[in-house]
Amino acid sequence: MGRLSGFRVTITQVFRPRVTEKFPQEKRPKPPRFHGRHVLNRYEDGMEKCIGCELCAGVCPAQCIYVRGADNLTDAPVSPGERYGFVYEINYLRCIHCDLCVEACPTEAITETKLFEFSFARRQDAIYTKDELLVDDEGRARRQPWELWLGGEDDETSAWMRATSSSGNAAYENRVAWSGELGFGVREPERGQGGDPGALPAPDQGGVS
Amino acid sequence: MGLTDADQRRAQQIIDRYPYPKSAVLPLLHLAQDRDGWVSPEAMEQIAELLGLTPALVLGTCSFYTMFKREPAGALVVSVCTNLSCMVNGGFDLFDQLRSRYQESSDVSVEEVECIAHCDHAPAFQVNYDFHGPADAHGAADVIEQYLDGRLAARTISGTARQEVPR
Amino acid sequence: MTTNAVPMSQWPSEHRYTIPVAPGPETVTVTIDGRAAQIPRGELLIKAAQDHGTYIPRFCWHERLKPVGMCRMCLVEIEGMRGLQISCATPVADGMVVHTTSDAVTTAQDGILEFLLINHPLDCPVCDRGGECPLQDQTLAFGPGESRFVEEKRHFEKPVPISDLVMLDRERCIQCGRCTRFADEVAGDPLIDFGGRGGSTEVITYLDEPFHSSFSGNTVQICPVGALTARPYRFRARPWDLASTETSCGACAVACRGSLESTSNRLVRLLGVDSEPVNQGWLCDKGRYGLDWVHSDARLRQPMVRRAGELVESSWPDALDAAAAAIRNTLDTHGPNGIAVLGGSRGVNEDAYLWARLAKGVLGTDHVDAQLGDGLPADVVLGMPRATIPDLDRAKAIVLLAPDLKEELPVLYLRVRRAAHDLGVPLVDVAVRDHGLTPYATAVLRHAPGDPGAAAGVVADALVGRPGRTKVGKAIVDATDGRDGPVVVILGRTSVAEHPDAIVHAASRLTGLPQVRFLSALANPNVHGALDLGLTPGFLPGRVSLDAGRDHFTKAWGAVPDAVGRDAAGILRAAATGEIAALVLVGCDPLAECPDRNLARAALEQADTVIAVSAFMDTAAFGATVVLPPTVWGEQSATTTNLEGRVVRLGRRVTPDGSTLESWRIPAELAARLGSDFDLETVDEVQDEIARVAPAFAGVDASLLRRARDGVVLPLADHADEVTFGRAGAGPGPSWEPILPVPEVVGDDDRSPSTSASDSPSAAVPAPTPPVPLHRWDAPPDAPSVPPLDAYALRLVAGHALYGADAIVAATPALASLTHEPTLGLNARDRDRLGVHDGDRVRITTARGSVDLAVRTDAQTPPGTAWIVANAAGPGAPDLIDLTSPVTELRVETIS
Repeated sequence: MGRLSGFRVTITQVFRPRVTEKFPQEKRPKPPRFHGRHVLNRYEDGMEKCIGCELCAGVCPAQCIYVRGADNLTDAPVSPGERYGFVYEINYLRCIHCDLCVEACPTEAITETKLFEFSFARRQDAIYTKDELLVDDEGRARRQPWELWLGGEDDETSAWMRATSSSGNAAYENRVAWSGELGFGVREPERGQGGDPGALPAPDQGGVS
Repeated sequence: MGLTDADQRRAQQIIDRYPYPKSAVLPLLHLAQDRDGWVSPEAMEQIAELLGLTPALVLGTCSFYTMFKREPAGALVVSVCTNLSCMVNGGFDLFDQLRSRYQESSDVSVEEVECIAHCDHAPAFQVNYDFHGPADAHGAADVIEQYLDGRLAARTISGTARQEVPR
Repeated sequence: MTTNAVPMSQWPSEHRYTIPVAPGPETVTVTIDGRAAQIPRGELLIKAAQDHGTYIPRFCWHERLKPVGMCRMCLVEIEGMRGLQISCATPVADGMVVHTTSDAVTTAQDGILEFLLINHPLDCPVCDRGGECPLQDQTLAFGPGESRFVEEKRHFEKPVPISDLVMLDRERCIQCGRCTRFADEVAGDPLIDFGGRGGSTEVITYLDEPFHSSFSGNTVQICPVGALTARPYRFRARPWDLASTETSCGACAVACRGSLESTSNRLVRLLGVDSEPVNQGWLCDKGRYGLDWVHSDARLRQPMVRRAGELVESSWPDALDAAAAAIRNTLDTHGPNGIAVLGGSRGVNEDAYLWARLAKGVLGTDHVDAQLGDGLPADVVLGMPRATIPDLDRAKAIVLLAPDLKEELPVLYLRVRRAAHDLGVPLVDVAVRDHGLTPYATAVLRHAPGDPGAAAGVVADALVGRPGRTKVGKAIVDATDGRDGPVVVILGRTSVAEHPDAIVHAASRLTGLPQVRFLSALANPNVHGALDLGLTPGFLPGRVSLDAGRDHFTKAWGAVPDAVGRDAAGILRAAATGEIAALVLVGCDPLAECPDRNLARAALEQADTVIAVSAFMDTAAFGATVVLPPTVWGEQSATTTNLEGRVVRLGRRVTPDGSTLESWRIPAELAARLGSDFDLETVDEVQDEIARVAPAFAGVDASLLRRARDGVVLPLADHADEVTFGRAGAGPGPSWEPILPVPEVVGDDDRSPSTSASDSPSAAVPAPTPPVPLHRWDAPPDAPSVPPLDAYALRLVAGHALYGADAIVAATPALASLTHEPTLGLNARDRDRLGVHDGDRVRITTARGSVDLAVRTDAQTPPGTAWIVANAAGPGAPDLIDLTSPVTELRVETIS
């Protein structure tokens, strides 16, 4: 082999399948429970799901969420009920994408998308305001100028992205128990991760949603 | 509306019966209801004034009892029992028929009540707290007509005394 | 059965209802969960358990309300008694063995909570109570965890406003009756009650008569669910956002203890803290909701200096230089007597002291007055034998020589009402017109405005057992017969339309009574601190007169004025004639506060220099030469003195916007610029200097104030045994009863209190004797001559309304809507005699001036008198009053 023996590893790798991708032109499919940036969802009638309860802000370990509630106007309510999220801000310089906010949200207003490719040139861009977080009239995340999306990535943005199963079982499959949302209606339940789907409990025997 | 001077004197007599004026709330509410056919806001305010209470306390007491009418009612209150014995003997039918019959009447108000302890005469009903029954809708209407034209003397709307039925 | 009745403050007392308690020793032994405890006989089991470390869950029971047993949450098992007992209505008995955690009890608790939650909407995420909710907390701690109820919950329209300040959510209500009981038992305003019954029971107000009580905010605080919420606080914050500091309310001279809470550097809430000697947990709505003024856009955030006729924003060094230069200029041209300092009664102790030191020690002027002719002579206030608020509870009798406490000192009204109504203390009401406490009075004496002397004479005689020939005299003798204790006279300025000599004369007739003590009813937040610290002519800090303290203060300060100066009326008159050229206004607006507005206007117009220390651009600051904006309540840590002479701490909760200077630094900085460095760096150093220098404050230094839970009553030598240390017991927390363990009492903002062994509640406080004997009031003045009543004129009575035109109300949107237009209140007889009707505008003319007001029939006002609120915005009583005349006679003419 001689001199070529030094290239053994290189040569064998040449004939192996490629593991890298042409990012960002091509992206790998993300795992179903991937934690990207947040969106604030709306109901099918366009009302905001957020009620400004601040539970997300209260639970946030990085203290990156700032929420303030206000009284809904009776003639032009923003959300169902008395209270709505008047200010909603997330500081992505702090956010660790732990998804505890998503767990805490009593109305499935805040969920995480799979969108993670964003880099800011200015610090204030890192603070996403309510206007930026709220889904648009089609129910899709609003694209910010500094965000890198490919087609279809914004489809995956809703309540069923809840990260942990209620039972703590990764194989658990949820059941639909939340209200429909703007643009997507009621989504299919999340698929379990691992395990034999046939061995799972029937969806309606699942724990609380 | 409210209490007349004669009523005021009567009210004072009632108040004097009790060690604490507050105790006279119920008799005074009856007095006002007998006078007007219902307990008007003016009456409640007058009673509050007489007893040194706030109107809110009088309203609180008044609203506890369904026998105090806080909206104008007919001079005859027909209470149809729909509890168990009366129900199986047609109490609901009696109630429905009487209600539709007197729907337009300003003299007769038909209401549904729980057991009035007249089960042996089911289906039973009361006209201003006088017991009647058993009766079908026709018989009951007959009784009510007798009260209306004066052949039977009705009690007051509070059931406290006989009265002339106003025409 | 041998029982005897033990009347307790806790039992319904309206009808002298008592509950039979078995006779026996005063202390009984009760075993609670295996631990034996010694408990006073007749104590409620739930309270006894709480005091000994066992928390029994409850909703309806509140320590300051009478028990009703409505919620059934406090069921316990008592050996030998059949079934479970509600511990909130069970008095302890000797040998009782109680189990609070047995299976039967936990099953019952599960059941009660499941039942209470049947109709409770569980909208916790949008509920203001969510996160600090006794129902949430106790469901987690004692509840079943799940519900079997699958049916539809009841629904009501929600939320409904039941007053301008309170919203009612009937779905959340669990019918504990705390709000209705508070309104009835404590506030005496039963404007809410339960209506309906069974599942449709709801809290109601009468038709369109809202819950207009000055104490409505307390119902929100004690509501164990979110059924009652405060409109000013609604959705402003969640409990976990809030940072708290214990402080005292700054709205009036009672100085109620409270927990001041902020979020994002904004004050959002004040909750009453249970301070046994002062407010017992309650606050009035003005104090509770008067927060937004601190953040008002109208606040001045930069000092201002007049340049070329215009007030322009300036830097602090420039503004202080300009103020110092103006003062020095006046000193050069007019001497010390050309300068006067007015105000200080709305500040804090530290700035009061330093202004006094600046004026008297540095400038050498004694023309200093904290009261603007709206108070009582300092000679009386500083020298009278002082009562404390708890003295009311054990008094032989309470004599009211005061304005309407319900309007001016609301929480003092609650204490007097409680003493008279619940504790059976005879209340003698001497006044011109009926007021909030009249319904609770044992004896009512009415007198003509300006002439309370004779009525006070009757009271004085009756209180020593001489009934005279009057019915009230006999009533007082009957009521006080056999009662011991001090006679507490609540002494205030009954009407600013009459000269204070009249009420002082009346008070002097009571000074001869055995054990007589006076409780001042002056309302301005720190008027007592300002007087105590020398902001009044003829006195030096620490309740000593100029002459008595001359040597002591010359040593401490270097110099004191030679002669007694002018009071506010004198200062304003001298300023109007040009004798006084410079006025320093310390947080006061004479045009709004002085009862004689014409005099104030003349003074401000004539004065060459006006230096206004003011947080707002009020009318006085508008014409000022220099405006210096200080920090205000909530922005600085300091101390205040309440009407008992109790010195309490004020906490700092928010950082001020803009560039304001801590209020006590302003006089210190001016002094430094005038060549006299006080060498004070921190507020603690000021407190220590006060303790060192001011005789009445001897021993009351920063360290003691920091540790004393309920503050320190002056002079310390007389009240050392009342000082308590340590954290408050396991009473009701700021807004809810704590689940054990007891949470920390809201802490200190800058340093945590040092708890040492010496801070045990029983530790003796060293109480040094004041270095100079304190001033005593003797020499009652001669009876002022009161002109006879003119048959054609009406005599004016002018008092303050709770929601007046002051900055707290005007700059707080929630309260500003509660103010009323000033009206002329007339008795129906006078109204008819004048031939006017309600709402008619009439012209009111006195010797001093004339205003147009609308007429309102006022049953509280007796014939021959007229009532006008003195602190309403716009033209009104101050335009009619002459500070020098004994009474104000007015004539009314209709205007077409």
